[in-house]
Amino acid sequence: MNCKKMVGIFAIFVVLSCLCTSVASAHRLHIESTLSELEIEAYFGSGAPVQDGDVKVYDKSGNLYIEGTTDEEGKFRFPPKIGMDEYEVVVNATHMPGHKGETTINLSQVSADGAGTELPLYSNIIAGFGYLIGIAGFAMAYVYWKRNKK
Amino acid sequence: MVHISDGILSLPVLAAGWAITFALLAVAIWWSNKKGNLEEEIPKLSVMTAAFFVASLVHIPVGPTSAHFILNGLVGVILGIFAFPAIFIGVVLQTVLFQHGGITTIGVNTANIGIPALIAYCIFKWGNKVGMTVMRKELSVWIFGALAGGVAVFLAVIFTAFSLVLSNEEAFFAIAIAFTVAHIPIIIIEAIITGSIAVFLLKVKPEIIGG
Repeated sequence: MNCKKMVGIFAIFVVLSCLCTSVASAHRLHIESTLSELEIEAYFGSGAPVQDGDVKVYDKSGNLYIEGTTDEEGKFRFPPKIGMDEYEVVVNATHMPGHKGETTINLSQVSADGAGTELPLYSNIIAGFGYLIGIAGFAMAYVYWKRNKK
Repeated sequence: MVHISDGILSLPVLAAGWAITFALLAVAIWWSNKKGNLEEEIPKLSVMTAAFFVASLVHIPVGPTSAHFILNGLVGVILGIFAFPAIFIGVVLQTVLFQHGGITTIGVNTANIGIPALIAYCIFKWGNKVGMTVMRKELSVWIFGALAGGVAVFLAVIFTAFSLVLSNEEAFFAIAIAFTVAHIPIIIIEAIITGSIAVFLLKVKPEIIGG
């Protein structure tokens, strides 16, 4: 075993490893970020989507930013503007004149599910009946109070 | 669909709606004081208000839109002049709990739904006065009940279209026709419901009809 051969093998290793590193650096992973679109969904209280609704998006100071119409699923997508994190979205139901909804989207505080903390429908129905019973009770009390006064 | 949202109507229309609503509420209260039998009306009033309140949740899809039940004809036939306060309370609860319509439009919406209810009551009452002399009692009650139920929805739709047009100067007939077409199933179903309930009440408790 001569020294020259050892040095030769070592040299090959060095060259190979150099090649390897240069190959690896060619695989450098790039990350670029683009926020391409913001999706809104408009639907009626029945859960039916607002089709062909007229959408207007305003910025924080009330200037019109973008406008369009919802698709058959009631969805509308628009590109957000960099540096602008608050949008006022107004949807007008063209098939049902007189129906309009508006909401504020704040990108810095978007919740995961999008929907707010709205009570389920049945609890609102029960609440409504509760109010009615209450109003009826008050009316009854008033009528009997008035009758006793006579 | 007959519930108009906030921010669509112009100020004079909103103000007129509130004025009409308050005037008719005052008339109903004055009427009840004059007749002095309010305590018998209250349970009936509450039940009809509850029915009116939840009826708006039942939707029928029509093409790209959907229409919901109104039941103002039935409320009118059963409650008479008290239909107006009942509908007012119902509309307030629908607005607050279901977000049907807007707070500022409660006046206009109550008038749009409530006045047809009063007209339905007149149709039912006067129609039967004549009808009962020429045909069987049940048949007359059914026919004029159904007519009242259908006309009430139709008029509510027309009034809604009219209030929208007053604010926007849009084509009245285009909106009115689109609205009416979407409500044809509701008009037919409510006519049948109102006629049938009127006949049923005539048989089991005739004094209950028409407060």
